[in-house]
Amino acid sequence: MITLALDIITTAAILFIVSAGLLIVFGVMKIINFAHASFITVGAYAALVASRLGLPPVLAPPLAFLAGGLIGAAAERLVVRRLYGRPLDAILATWGLSIVIGQLVTLAFGREVQFVAAPISGTVMILGEDYSGYRLLMVAAAIVIAALFTGLLNGTRLGLSTRAVIMNETLAQGLGIDSTRVRLITFGIGCGLAAIAGALITPLASVDPNMGLSWLIGAFMLVMISGGSLLTLGLSCFVLGGLQVLASTFISPILGGLTIAVLAAVALRLRPEGFARA
Amino acid sequence: MTLSRSFSNLLAAVASTTLLAVPALAADPIKIGVPVGLSGANSVVAPSVVQSAQLAVDEINAKGGVLGRQLALEVADDASGAAGAQKAFDSLVFQKKVDVLISMETSAARNAGLPIVARGKVPYIYTSFYEGKSCSPFMYVNAWVPEQQVPPIVDYFNKEKGAKKFFLIGSDYAFGRGMLAFTKAYIDKTGGKVVGEEYLPMDGSDWTSIISKLKSTAPDALITSTAGGAPNVTLTKQLRAAGVALPYGNLAVDEGTAKGMGTDAEGIYLSASYVTGIDSAANKTFLAAMQKKFGAELKTPNDLSVPEYEAVYAYKAAAEKAGSTEQAKVLKALGEVSVDGPRGKIDMSKQHHAPLTMYLGQVQADGSVKVIKSFPNVDPGAQCPNLKS
Repeated sequence: MITLALDIITTAAILFIVSAGLLIVFGVMKIINFAHASFITVGAYAALVASRLGLPPVLAPPLAFLAGGLIGAAAERLVVRRLYGRPLDAILATWGLSIVIGQLVTLAFGREVQFVAAPISGTVMILGEDYSGYRLLMVAAAIVIAALFTGLLNGTRLGLSTRAVIMNETLAQGLGIDSTRVRLITFGIGCGLAAIAGALITPLASVDPNMGLSWLIGAFMLVMISGGSLLTLGLSCFVLGGLQVLASTFISPILGGLTIAVLAAVALRLRPEGFARA
Repeated sequence: MTLSRSFSNLLAAVASTTLLAVPALAADPIKIGVPVGLSGANSVVAPSVVQSAQLAVDEINAKGGVLGRQLALEVADDASGAAGAQKAFDSLVFQKKVDVLISMETSAARNAGLPIVARGKVPYIYTSFYEGKSCSPFMYVNAWVPEQQVPPIVDYFNKEKGAKKFFLIGSDYAFGRGMLAFTKAYIDKTGGKVVGEEYLPMDGSDWTSIISKLKSTAPDALITSTAGGAPNVTLTKQLRAAGVALPYGNLAVDEGTAKGMGTDAEGIYLSASYVTGIDSAANKTFLAAMQKKFGAELKTPNDLSVPEYEAVYAYKAAAEKAGSTEQAKVLKALGEVSVDGPRGKIDMSKQHHAPLTMYLGQVQADGSVKVIKSFPNVDPGAQCPNLKS
């Protein structure tokens, strides 16, 4: 029972970490970044480089953020900027971008599965149960990311401009806010967050050029039903992640793998705009 | 239009049969077709297979070839799947007109290629371990089937570790389910009990609930059969992160993957017909020759690439026994000859399959595989009762 509860909490935390970057891009720019998966991959390879250079594991996420953020900003400047008025084309373009990044990663590091040593291994005793220490650490990481994200959005000048652009872009421009710059920075931060997610999941995942892909659909669905707010994203990760764990445990892991996609489709049928303003 | 096309097809067919019937000149090389997955799922292992074939051909050519003729390789990419295999087999058999096909492939690619092999009546040596019971009068197999790979692990866990309760985890596809179905039957037969059997889709990466179930059933041993590469790595990492320290037999891991998984792979048991640590003169000579030929480019020889090397020698032996490269004669001889290679003495005499010496190995802290026990001449069982010899 305790194991089940811990499975649900940690699964929700990992889903949250993986989809946060997608949420910020969708919230501000109203486009879906289908290259999200490759930025997760970029982050994982940044962690690989960090471990090969012998840097302490704590530095892997910041390095990943830097790599993902810079590549993301460059991609915004070169590709995404031209497509804000054409959200459908943006999906195609970011999908193409993900293929390009995937191939570049393959060229640089090869096709094979890479190994990054886990910063902590083994289990800790919690409420009388042996549980994976790293998965528990992911809960802390999710809380830190959520806190930083909220702080950035509500406590800084950039956050204020960002919220203005989210609410009414034309009005924000009229007030002298450089919305092009806001978008550039937001896209960079979103990609950087995806890369952090990649670096954080490496001890639980295999590092290979396609590793991000298995996370993309789940993250996409969660962001769609959350409707663009951080709080509802957290909630949907908890509810859908929890149902996924329950389905996997009590019915079959094969059905469990479908849970998020199926339930998200049903939820969107009932509430196409998501649950942000419920 | 239709008439003239079918007429020209007929002409082409007649022309090609006539060409085939013309005895090859002594100077013509003997062509060995190697359809292999240079792209797709097998692309990680395919280069090592091609290297093995190249070494065998070079060695044989340096000693005068086969029946006075040189050997030549024709490598074709089958993209690791059925559609690619059809193209690859078609072009090798009917355009390049190879004398023999020798290759390691996915089961999907093999099944797609077999009808083309039958149409061309070309001898085909399949050098990949697989789920068993694929039968064709034109195909010989010199790698293992479940009957040979699974018993060493189960018997060892049963006898040496006292394991009675087993938990099985696999990827949801033909090879994963096929291997574990055999494993389950074998465990039942040998007095053990399977307390759980769970599968995840091939692209799944979250094993959380399966691992929780594994821990709650408290088995004595764990046996897994995932797809190679990513699923195997994610499962092993998550098992280690969850503190699972049971005897852990992995039916899908090879030495290269084990090395890639680093410390997480330590302690895993595997069963194979080839590991680099085989302590024989033939294996040491082979490894030294590979090192000399490929140097820094060398892909570590493995259980999928070494059978390719031996199969080229098996073809040489069969052609020499038959006294010609005529396909029907070579096919008959393939079941009668035996070759000495890195894996020992191998003949494909059991219903087109080969009795093999199997090695039970355990991954060490540095990623190398230590042979714990060897099981000489494990019989492949009744794979193809309808095929003679």
